[in-house]
Amino acid sequence: MEQARAPGDEGREPVSWLTSPWLTVRVQIGLGAIFLLAALPKITDPPSFAHMIYNYRLVPGAVVNAMALVMPWVEILAGLALILGVWRREAAVVCGLLLLVFLVAIGVNLARGHAVDCGCFDVHAAGKTREEQLSDMRWVLLRDVGILVLVVQVLAASRRPVSPALR
Amino acid sequence: MNRRVVWGRIAILVVLAIVCAAAANLAASKERKLPWVGIYARALDTSAPVPSSSESRPSSPSSAAPAPAAATGSAPAAAMGASARFPAHPDKASVEIGGDDAEALHKEGRLFLDARRSSVYAEGHIPGARSFPVWESDIDGRVKAFFDEGLDQNAPIVIYCSGGDCEDSHMLAEKLYMVGFNALYIYKDGFPGWSKRGLPVTKGANP
Repeated sequence: MEQARAPGDEGREPVSWLTSPWLTVRVQIGLGAIFLLAALPKITDPPSFAHMIYNYRLVPGAVVNAMALVMPWVEILAGLALILGVWRREAAVVCGLLLLVFLVAIGVNLARGHAVDCGCFDVHAAGKTREEQLSDMRWVLLRDVGILVLVVQVLAASRRPVSPALR
Repeated sequence: MNRRVVWGRIAILVVLAIVCAAAANLAASKERKLPWVGIYARALDTSAPVPSSSESRPSSPSSAAPAPAAATGSAPAAAMGASARFPAHPDKASVEIGGDDAEALHKEGRLFLDARRSSVYAEGHIPGARSFPVWESDIDGRVKAFFDEGLDQNAPIVIYCSGGDCEDSHMLAEKLYMVGFNALYIYKDGFPGWSKRGLPVTKGANP
């Protein structure tokens, strides 16, 4: 706990461990790296990512391609901002919104029994059976909730400025 | 921090993403380029896989609906010619066929079209099949050029993709049906089914 305090914090309220700068910087980098890794295959192959979005059957055909082109760049910019510590609150909000979209997309398809490949970190069909895909979708939901917890941590911590030494 | 500043910065991030996407799409090769507005008729339809289209063409020739082709996996009647066994079906975009029929049509030298991505096509395809990747930006140009070749629109054409739930072949069939091709047959097991049968496969970007 001691190390979580920035110099000159004497007299102030003790820093909560969960929102300590030490932890926050690592969570930010981890979260940023996740979004960067997720964006790269989508950026290098937009038609395959468009195919993945189409498979979800949730958005009108006219916007499938636009989403496939723009969404990976939003992920990359938000990821980079988190890693560099620039506009981290805004970047965390963007990541949170993206995760909510992913959760709804997977959740709706899971609820209606429409099996899809996630397309989260790989944009090519995995050639799995319907049951395997549905099972994967349940894990993806859990994983995205876990990542959402990281977003909440960054947002909670970004209410206080990060010590320049840890930035 | 002021909420307006936060949302303002988020808007800047999104605008920057759109600019980057536009620049990257402009610089991308034709295999990786995407038109900004997609035309996908079944984008909200979860009843997959699509068996065949009942959508009618604006100037569909007509009502003389021929009997559908031999169904899945049935043994081809060797004595009959392809035009008799696989007639034109102007009332619907496509009819599914099984492995035996696909093999028979291939032996007769019928035209095969591969609807998968060009990179996947290059890794292996049915010998003689031409590449028509429906998810690549130049597909409409390819379809137009194909139409301009002046081929017999009532001669059977076999379209395939990756089998299973793959709908690429149905999407290509719809595009070809809309320009006037009437005898489109979808090999439903696709390339995986062909390989599983131990039939010959060609690699590379050419048929």
